[in-house]
Amino acid sequence: MPRWGMAIDLGRCIGCRSCAVVCKIHNSLPPGTWWQRVETIGAKVHHTPVGRYPDFSEVYLPVPCQHCDNAPCVKVCPVGATWQREDGLVLIDFERCIGCRYCMTACPYGVRQFNWQNSDKNFKEAFKKLGFSQNWFADSSYRPGYPYEHRTKDGRLVFTPKRPRGVVEKCTFCVQYVDQGLPPACVRGCPGNARIFGDLNDPNSLISQVIKRRDVIRMREDLNTSPKVYYLLPEYKSYRGKIIYEKILKAFERMAVNL
Amino acid sequence: MPGKFSKVYKILGLIMLIGLIAFIYQLYKGLIVTHMRNSFSWGLYIATWAFFVGTAAGGLVVSSSIYLFKVEALKPVARLATITAFVFAIAAMTILLPDVGRPDRLYNIFIHPNFKSLLPWDFLVLSSYSLVSIIYAYILMKPEIYKFGVSIPLLGLKGKRNITDEEYKKLKEESFRKAKKLAPLALPLAILIHTVTAWVLATQAARPWWYGGLLAPTFIATAISTGPAIVILFSLWVLGVNERLLPAYRVLAKISALSSIILLFMYYNEFFVRFWWHHGEDYEALKLLFTKYLHLHVIEVFFILLSAYLFFRYSDVPKKLVQGGIALIIGVFAHRFLLLPSAYNIIPFRVPVIERYGSEEWSYPIAHGEVIGDLLKPGKVFVDYWNYYPSIIEILITAGVMAAVVFVILKLSEILPVEEKA
Repeated sequence: MPRWGMAIDLGRCIGCRSCAVVCKIHNSLPPGTWWQRVETIGAKVHHTPVGRYPDFSEVYLPVPCQHCDNAPCVKVCPVGATWQREDGLVLIDFERCIGCRYCMTACPYGVRQFNWQNSDKNFKEAFKKLGFSQNWFADSSYRPGYPYEHRTKDGRLVFTPKRPRGVVEKCTFCVQYVDQGLPPACVRGCPGNARIFGDLNDPNSLISQVIKRRDVIRMREDLNTSPKVYYLLPEYKSYRGKIIYEKILKAFERMAVNL
Repeated sequence: MPGKFSKVYKILGLIMLIGLIAFIYQLYKGLIVTHMRNSFSWGLYIATWAFFVGTAAGGLVVSSSIYLFKVEALKPVARLATITAFVFAIAAMTILLPDVGRPDRLYNIFIHPNFKSLLPWDFLVLSSYSLVSIIYAYILMKPEIYKFGVSIPLLGLKGKRNITDEEYKKLKEESFRKAKKLAPLALPLAILIHTVTAWVLATQAARPWWYGGLLAPTFIATAISTGPAIVILFSLWVLGVNERLLPAYRVLAKISALSSIILLFMYYNEFFVRFWWHHGEDYEALKLLFTKYLHLHVIEVFFILLSAYLFFRYSDVPKKLVQGGIALIIGVFAHRFLLLPSAYNIIPFRVPVIERYGSEEWSYPIAHGEVIGDLLKPGKVFVDYWNYYPSIIEILITAGVMAAVVFVILKLSEILPVEEKA
């Protein structure tokens, strides 16, 4: 049985929020709901440097659900709608959740999102608010994202494009893709290839090797939630700018194709 | 035949009706009509829930202490106290209905309970508590019910049996004996409901405002101060004043006042410990209380102190008792509401930002869950602070449940023999 985990290289993250957008589209997230966030550490506004001249830093921190091994949300759910599957994914049963939002109180990472209103209505209103004159969703049944319901082997509904109102949802590590042997959408969609997804139980998997060889941290380690999302620290800043361009250019010369 | 409270019933009925309409509207629209959002996910309903549980717990503390600690002076108010305990315990479960997003799925708590979570336990103790309190009330009132019957609206006089004076006397003795047997069960259960309610919050390490061992004791202290105060208020309203009731009020007022002082002591004891360290999440939560929520904090402390003063000083003057009781309700309600802001607005996901010249903790913003603003005035998507105040719908629904509580208590005390008869 695999145990899925993710490693995010903060040195490679360019803060473009592609992961958040790809996630939003693939998982049909209603407006206002984000399973994936990317912010600049320490900044009030994303993409603004932090610090005092000349000591600036700008490190971006993408945050999906941490899929904790000791997940507080799993412990507090009164009806067991949130549970940890054998492969380590923390999932929510859309058909069992009673919407008490205790898990949102318990989660230290703020990844859990509630369906405060009807998803279709939310789409319509949000498009209107955002100034789209066409009012895209008014008379079309089209919804972005993975078009099918997804159930686990024991029949629990863990993904549906038609989001029921009044239930909690969050990042599932794209369970609908993982069950088909594909990595999550954010991993595939990252332009900097900053994310690694794989089996933590397999010592030869890339993620296991990376965690073994590089300095990794996990978020809010002090709460003992044992997350399965690992962060690779950004490299020391003085290394930047020391790229030897001549070598690169030479490499490109060899690859150049005469038209 | 217009009763003593017919006008009050009309007003309460109206508030209940408005509350019901607001609830239906909320069911129709979704919880978007409340002012809770993802980063501030529990609001007025949960504060009211804690308030109701506290008041319910106070009820049986009063009536069981008559038999456990032989406080005979409280005997005239025992029946009313058990009725308030029952009604408030039911109300505490009722106020959770509008808070859950899918009330239609609540049966899941019976078929898939997760006993690691404290919510099913809370449900279990609350329902057994309401059961015990109604049994307790029945035991206390059984002789009168047998002798005089109960006139239920639409059904007429029920339960009356022809019994001789001797049998009546025997029933009274039996009632006393049974109540004495039940008291050792009722008191721990009363303490337990509020303890488990506190544990629902106090076990959350992610919320430093709640996390720790002191929340349950302060909850108990609030219960023992509001419970008696509510009993005094209803007793003055329903039974009025006589030479048998006055000593009961005196004892109740003193218990309540003492407990209020203990509550404030524990509260400020915690504050000092947090204040002294002066850094970190615990301190930030305290700072929030004393900056953005100072007005509510002043209200809570002022009214709790005022009620303690009135209860200590004028425990014989009915008018002052009413003022003290109302002041306590305001103070404790503010106290209950203040459970929330310092818990939710200190975002648990914090990242230390370490610079050459110093360091600070940075909170990671949360998507609040609604698209606000338009192209000219765009609203925020991710927030690290949510200025929660209850929406009008939340207030109407809560007011409706509160009106129902008062309505049912008044009605029950009219129907049932709450006054001991010779």
